[in-house]
Amino acid sequence: MKSKQIDRRIMLKGLGSVCIGLPLLEEMISPPKTHGAIKDIPIRAFNVFFGLGIPSLLQKEGYEGVLEPLKPLKNKLLIMRDVDQVRCDVSGTNAHFDGATGSFTAMPAGGEAKAGGPSIDQLVKHAYHPNGMPADMVPTLIGGTYFRRSRVGRYLHSYNLDGTVAGIMQEKPRDLFDRVFGFVNVGDVVDSRKRRLKRSVLDSVINQYKYFKGANSPLGSASKTRVSEHLERIREYELRAFELKTKNENTPQRPPRSKILHGGQADPGGQGVDISLKELTNEWRLMAELYALSIKMDRVRFGSITFLAAGERIRLSGDYYYNDRKVFEFNDSRQLNAGGDQGCSHEWWHKFNENKPNSQLRAHAHMKMREVAYFLSLLDAEIESNGKTILENSMITISTESGDGRHNDAKRELSGVFHAITSANGRFKTGHILDVAEEGIDVYNTMVHALGSKKRLGPNSREFRQINSILS
Amino acid sequence: MFIYNPRLYIVLTILAIVPSVSGDSSGRVQNDLLAFYNFSMTDGVLIKDSSNNGAPLNLVIDNLQNVKRSSGKLEVTGNAIIRSIKPATKISNAIKRSGEVTIEAWIQPNKIEQNGPARIMTISSDGTNRNITLGQDNGKYDVRIRTSQTNKNGLPSLSSKDRGFSLKLTHIVFTRKENGNENIYINGNLNSSRSIESDTENWNSSYRLALANELTEGRPWQGSYRAVAIYGVALSIKDIKRNYNAGLNFVDDRIDISAKLKARKEKFFDEEIVPILSKHCLECHDTLNRNGKLDLSKKSYAYSLENGDEVIIPGKSSESLLWEVVESDDMPDERESLTNSEKDLLRKWIDDGAVWTTEDIDPLAHTFDRRGKENWVRRLTVSEYIASVKSATGVDIGKMAVEVLPEDIRADGFSNTAYNLKVDLKHIDSYSILASAVVQKMDLIAFYKGYNKSLNLTDNSMRKFISQISRDFLRGNISDSELAAFRGVTTTVASAGGTLEEAIGLVIEAMLQSPRFIYKIENQIGDGDLWSVSEYELASRMSYIIWGESPDKKLLDRAASGELFSPNIMDEEIERMLLDSKAITRSIEFVKEWLNLNRLKNLSPNSELFKNWSSELGVDMMEETLAFFEEVAWNQKRPLSDLMNANVTFASPLLAKHYGFNVVNEDLLAKYDLSSVPERGGLLTHGSVLTIGGDEASMVTRGLFVLHDLFRSGVKDPPPCVDTTPVSTKIGLTQRSIAEQRVANKSCGGCHSKFEPLAYGLEIYDGIGAFNLRDEHGNALRQDGEVLFPGEAKSIPYKTSKELMNLLSSSDRISQCLTWKIAQFALGRPLGQPDALALENIHNEAKKGGGTYSSVIKAIIKSDLVKKIKTEEANEE
Repeated sequence: MKSKQIDRRIMLKGLGSVCIGLPLLEEMISPPKTHGAIKDIPIRAFNVFFGLGIPSLLQKEGYEGVLEPLKPLKNKLLIMRDVDQVRCDVSGTNAHFDGATGSFTAMPAGGEAKAGGPSIDQLVKHAYHPNGMPADMVPTLIGGTYFRRSRVGRYLHSYNLDGTVAGIMQEKPRDLFDRVFGFVNVGDVVDSRKRRLKRSVLDSVINQYKYFKGANSPLGSASKTRVSEHLERIREYELRAFELKTKNENTPQRPPRSKILHGGQADPGGQGVDISLKELTNEWRLMAELYALSIKMDRVRFGSITFLAAGERIRLSGDYYYNDRKVFEFNDSRQLNAGGDQGCSHEWWHKFNENKPNSQLRAHAHMKMREVAYFLSLLDAEIESNGKTILENSMITISTESGDGRHNDAKRELSGVFHAITSANGRFKTGHILDVAEEGIDVYNTMVHALGSKKRLGPNSREFRQINSILS
Repeated sequence: MFIYNPRLYIVLTILAIVPSVSGDSSGRVQNDLLAFYNFSMTDGVLIKDSSNNGAPLNLVIDNLQNVKRSSGKLEVTGNAIIRSIKPATKISNAIKRSGEVTIEAWIQPNKIEQNGPARIMTISSDGTNRNITLGQDNGKYDVRIRTSQTNKNGLPSLSSKDRGFSLKLTHIVFTRKENGNENIYINGNLNSSRSIESDTENWNSSYRLALANELTEGRPWQGSYRAVAIYGVALSIKDIKRNYNAGLNFVDDRIDISAKLKARKEKFFDEEIVPILSKHCLECHDTLNRNGKLDLSKKSYAYSLENGDEVIIPGKSSESLLWEVVESDDMPDERESLTNSEKDLLRKWIDDGAVWTTEDIDPLAHTFDRRGKENWVRRLTVSEYIASVKSATGVDIGKMAVEVLPEDIRADGFSNTAYNLKVDLKHIDSYSILASAVVQKMDLIAFYKGYNKSLNLTDNSMRKFISQISRDFLRGNISDSELAAFRGVTTTVASAGGTLEEAIGLVIEAMLQSPRFIYKIENQIGDGDLWSVSEYELASRMSYIIWGESPDKKLLDRAASGELFSPNIMDEEIERMLLDSKAITRSIEFVKEWLNLNRLKNLSPNSELFKNWSSELGVDMMEETLAFFEEVAWNQKRPLSDLMNANVTFASPLLAKHYGFNVVNEDLLAKYDLSSVPERGGLLTHGSVLTIGGDEASMVTRGLFVLHDLFRSGVKDPPPCVDTTPVSTKIGLTQRSIAEQRVANKSCGGCHSKFEPLAYGLEIYDGIGAFNLRDEHGNALRQDGEVLFPGEAKSIPYKTSKELMNLLSSSDRISQCLTWKIAQFALGRPLGQPDALALENIHNEAKKGGGTYSSVIKAIIKSDLVKKIKTEEANEE
């Protein structure tokens, strides 16, 4: 499948889209001066989630099996097998929820929309930006292409230190574009008197939020965190509304409207939706390109992106090619001889049997790796001042909800959960497939420690165990 | 013959002054008490703070030789000073935040000629820097208080009128309200007052508290102290009289300490022990299984085996069987052992008396950590925002708000769960856009005239306007610094040569984006224990619970008058609010959330299986359930448990045909009497609920819905290696027979027997709720089954779906669950074991009121879950 990739040059020329959109801000399409993205390599951490996982037995086949699409990037990845996430088990729920919420946090969920602690990207963010990100950067960018949404933990993968979600999910490419590059319209931009009056309203609001964030606030710590976040967003708004100037010529345009289902329509009572491979990958690739562009333009350094939710329910159809080789013909509903939820690709994970070929599951997993690789390769195309690519310079963690899709053994389900990481500018070993045989919490803590975070995942009383085998 | 007896004289004197020396000591106001000294110790230099509020602020006596101590009395006979060991931070910080204070003292001056004023009580650093001082200036009492309108010395002061002063035992009270009203009461009567709009934000937290002198000395007071109390609120005249009438018999400190200790032990059980029992023990030792004849899920059975052998011996872990088997890892059997820290907690619990709270353990305690450690400020949901804007401005911004504001995402069953009500850039942008749109729709001058007749853009005029509308917009009084923030807008307009109309509009825009508007701001700082919410906070809580919007003027007036906590007034207000149609709208919102009815808008069942399905039918199903709830809960005012079996429903023509009714009205949602329709009647026979089972009408999904959402219970993970692949029906194999196989299976039955039989009676309804006696393969369908109510050991059989509905309706468990669900929606947070005792009380209160929606709401509001807030300890500077 061919997809026209959006890159920074295209953005600057204003090519490649069809809609008249919001004007971009001049500052937003110029390389930033303040954060040293070009000169100094910034610390970045992103979580890449794909739904339903890869059974641990299939991971053992290495790049000869479903991991084949990652092979071109193998020197820049460390594949970690046998990572144990059993501690994430929440009694009474299967891994679609608790494994997914525990991916990148390594702790059992704290609620349906609350993790048991921070995600690794946020720990690193907190280590480097304890007082929040500069107002001209998106603090945490969370986006993805997914359908199942019964619980937030299935699809959202960046969590604050208190376990609450670190941002709002951008599920449409256009929404993600607006979140990163959008301009805030405060009305009559040419009437300076009106702008001054509008500004006084904003100043009044800012002063009040400052009070509730401050020492004399009547609010407790969790609430103060919430109003602090609100104040940060106001600062971002303030910058976009009043402090940056618009660029009128060569204005790039917003991406087209999404053509696939979103919101409640995307998850009709858990019964699943019909979608073709082309529809799915067109949407995802646009999302991936915009996300990658946001990183390249240094508008974002932390966040997560999701390709299909945990326990995703789609009935996929269409021919699947990889490198011009036809891998499979997807037609879940027909192959399962069922409609509704019983006709969804999800069922191939339930039916996994180590003594059978599992052709359908393999094809789906292979396709997911192709799409994850698509996103990673976008980051591998941009070389930074140290001669390495963004992919190599960042801490990018790829994971999923389970190491076996059958729900009859929580321990097996949450063992052997697929993980791959990038080198984070030489901190981690790459070019290997490791049988780590360690708990996810120790792997993650080793990672955030290597990135300079003093905070750890898990209870304070838990001793730090460094997993040396993943360090370079 | 009269014989003078000094002791008798004192007693008689007290009796003459104090109406009830031996009055109702428990009648004293305890809420918001920050420090309390009753001088009960008879010797030593220490005077204990017995407020039981946070860390005690104890005092020490310098110059002990000039002090006489006796039980309940301390007399200062010469130059002395009694000062706090550490700064009075807990007092000063609380008053800084509340803007309110009450100083109460039972004293008897030794002489009239004392001045300076002579310090009876002070929180200060020296002779010219104070937060507050109660003093005697010859024949008057004098109060100096630091505010934004007085100087650092608290001047000008407020003095009592001459008529109140005497050398007899006197009850003197000073109060200051947030709005600047200050009063002195002597022996329960108002003596002197003044009003200056001001705040107390400039109080200094480092000052100490002292009696009988200034901190730097030089202002001695001589006389007797019987009690000194400091509150973080302005007591009402009723409360002052209550304290006065309560007299001098103060509650024994030990009783309070004992109550506090008990509360701590209960908290320990709820927060630490219940999760351990749930995680490790109840799988085998609940009422259903009772392995080894032990039931650890109920208070009445947990302490001993069925044969009487003791399992838990309070205070003696070493002799308790429970500890013995846990310590040795003999239990849990074939499961992960307790960790060392869990074992430590269990042993501590037994050794500390093994206190147990509610009869039943919250069955979901093991699911998430619901210890309620955090207080999240609640952002208004989209619907609350729309209603609050309308309430404040009269403008309906609903359509636009729904379009531009990000949707609130469901978490833990409701979309108003506080921890998940985040904000993003789009919220900020939307609030700004919506505020402008609201202002454009208002007749600003007409609105302004409702508050202020002066049509001048002067600072005084705008200050008055802002002060007045802020109460209605922001649900209470605002501080001077907030007032200044809004005045910054009007002065900018004035300096830019703007108009009054512009100023009004921009002030309203600022208010609609203010944190006090967007969030339900409450004081959360205290000592870590439960504190009463303020009157305005209570008004706000009541209003959002009953109406889903900000309080109206009448309720705010009640709060301003300090009457809202009065039981009669509170009842009156609740009744008034429940009579408003907004209460119905709010309850409908609850039902939509509880049953997740919005999903029906997007339902798309398999079109090959369900050829008659249309999106309109899904919407009609939702409308049926909402109209049914309104009929049962509001029109017929029936107990909520009747939702399970009420013989009435509402259907559109489309839905009526789907159900097989004779259509009575071709155009409208019509009411249908179901007395002679045995297959319908009650929520579980509604298409809206039956579609939860999906196309296959899954017994697992339907049964789990009943278990989770009607019984408030749950099950654990399936045991390892059972085949969990769903089995399809075929000729000779129905959903029922498949379910029975699972229930009969040794590996599966332990859990499946708890929920699948709950759905047996629903097999006659297909995936979209149509009634059938045979499935698509021609298999005959059954509707008999049995119900196992959580916490019960035996199932109850039923023959028909109708009987199932009647059983559910008669179950107290269903009513309890509904109470929990309504309370969760009311409070905006998941509930857990720490809330269980309060919810048990609410449920019992609601039952007394007939178990109706109104009675549940009333009981919730009158409970500590609403009247109090769990505070966080302040960081002392």
